[in-house]
Amino acid sequence: MRIFEPHAHMFSRVTDDYERMALCGVRAVLEPAFWLGQNRTSVGTFVDYFDTLLGWERFRAQQFGIHHFCTMALNPREANDDRVNADVLAVLPRYLEKDSVLGVGEIGLDDQTPKEEKFFAEQVQLAIRHDLPVLVHTPHRDKKKGFERCIDILKESGIPMERVLLDHGNEITIKLTRDLGCYSGFSIYPNTKMDPLRMSKIVVEYGVDRMIINSACDWGVSDPLMIPRTIVKLQQARVPDADIEQLVWKNPIAFFAQSGRLQENDLAWPASADLRETFEGNSVLRGQDPAALQP
Amino acid sequence: MTDHVPDLTGHAEALLPDGARTWWNQALARARDEGPEALPELFPALRRRIGTTGLSAGMFRETPYLVDLDAWRACDAAGHVLLEAAGSHDGPATDLFLRGDLEERTIVLKAMTLRPISPDTIALLGEVQRTNTVRHVEAGVLDANLAVRALEAGGPMTGFSQDDLHRLVLKLAFLDLPVARAYGVLDHATAELSQMLEDFAQEREAAGRPVWADTWRFLGRAAIATSRERLAAGLAHAQPEVRAAARDGVQAFGDTDLLKQLDA
Ligand SMILES: [Zn+2]
Repeated sequence: MRIFEPHAHMFSRVTDDYERMALCGVRAVLEPAFWLGQNRTSVGTFVDYFDTLLGWERFRAQQFGIHHFCTMALNPREANDDRVNADVLAVLPRYLEKDSVLGVGEIGLDDQTPKEEKFFAEQVQLAIRHDLPVLVHTPHRDKKKGFERCIDILKESGIPMERVLLDHGNEITIKLTRDLGCYSGFSIYPNTKMDPLRMSKIVVEYGVDRMIINSACDWGVSDPLMIPRTIVKLQQARVPDADIEQLVWKNPIAFFAQSGRLQENDLAWPASADLRETFEGNSVLRGQDPAALQP
Repeated sequence: MTDHVPDLTGHAEALLPDGARTWWNQALARARDEGPEALPELFPALRRRIGTTGLSAGMFRETPYLVDLDAWRACDAAGHVLLEAAGSHDGPATDLFLRGDLEERTIVLKAMTLRPISPDTIALLGEVQRTNTVRHVEAGVLDANLAVRALEAGGPMTGFSQDDLHRLVLKLAFLDLPVARAYGVLDHATAELSQMLEDFAQEREAAGRPVWADTWRFLGRAAIATSRERLAAGLAHAQPEVRAAARDGVQAFGDTDLLKQLDA
């Protein structure tokens, strides 16, 4: 089964994760720009991070046959930080035109402050201007109210709902998002929030139309193989392969293809990178003989 | 006096894909109206909008430029046109390179090979010197005479020295790129460079790895203690490209005995 992992913070993962993901069928990852575990104090560190998502991270993924894409944004947590928020918004337009940028995200609400709302709304307008879909982070605390507030802001913005992916959903929020016309995202975690078994029950109840699952793996306790693990649970629940393929492959591609920068055909084969090539003089091989790693 | 900048608009527009005309006209208008400020949002879209069809426009020879336009793509030509339309010869190219993805960097470097030498050129040649991304070395210094133009530029544009050229040639050797594609560089052979290449060759030989064939061309042009011995051995080398380079080196070296071996 080919997998498009639509939410993985590979920046914070080791190179072995890429190999394990590739072995489990992950053909493409989408890496949303996010919070790095602590606040940044100048726009320069954002810019360097954005460049890493476009350069080194992409190169690292390609060496394992994985196509790498990203979304760019000021994340909700740092929207609260006046040392960086306005400056990051000023540099975003050039990044939103890059080839491998397929959307604006993660934007949305975290602590649900007025500043978060302001930068969320402004970035939805940026998405409209650059003709991109939006990946929306919803709060982990006070989730139902946060979802409702996100939906209100999105409705006010005028962005078409089919260009919205409301992420980090659960059994409660699916009732809010199901009939909105947006895509509903579910992040599957090892212990908390949403797990593979609960996810399979949601799929059995609601089907796979406009449904998307991801691992949201990052610095925390998380697992980049959560989509493959969920696939096993779905198969045990006798969900047909065609539905599973729609959930883990067709849906994320259809959503991000709305950027005009992705076609399913681009992913027909694993990404190719000559293992002898280096990126800026750097390689993940660390002295190993590339010939030994060639298939 | 600055050198004029050739106009590649015709080349870029001849290859515009269906449906790209509107975007291109808007992009050109933005570059003209807003100047360099417009470029950071336009350059990332060039490959996607204009495409990568090859130019097949032959060799461009107009003093001081010598550039093989067959090595250019439609998006490269479009980038060149936008830089010129923005009306600035300095500053934006370095920023576009430093904040550009692999494609934008390639386009910026290609464009520099058909623009006058400026502090941007010097800064970008420094970037080329430090990268191991082969396509960027190719875009900046191959199929063009940019390195030699930078070396020969005097006055306020000084900044790319003979030392820098030596390091650049070593970079070509390291990446196994042919010096014949860096037009004019072979004419700037020095004994110091020959020694650097000789040391590199000995390192490679000790490791049982192949030596850069163009080493023989430099050692013939700028003699050092080991030139004669290496050239003689090169004439009988197992690799045909080394034998060809050694023959070329021997002709420049001018040693009668070795020249006789050429006739034999
Ligand atoms: Zn995330």
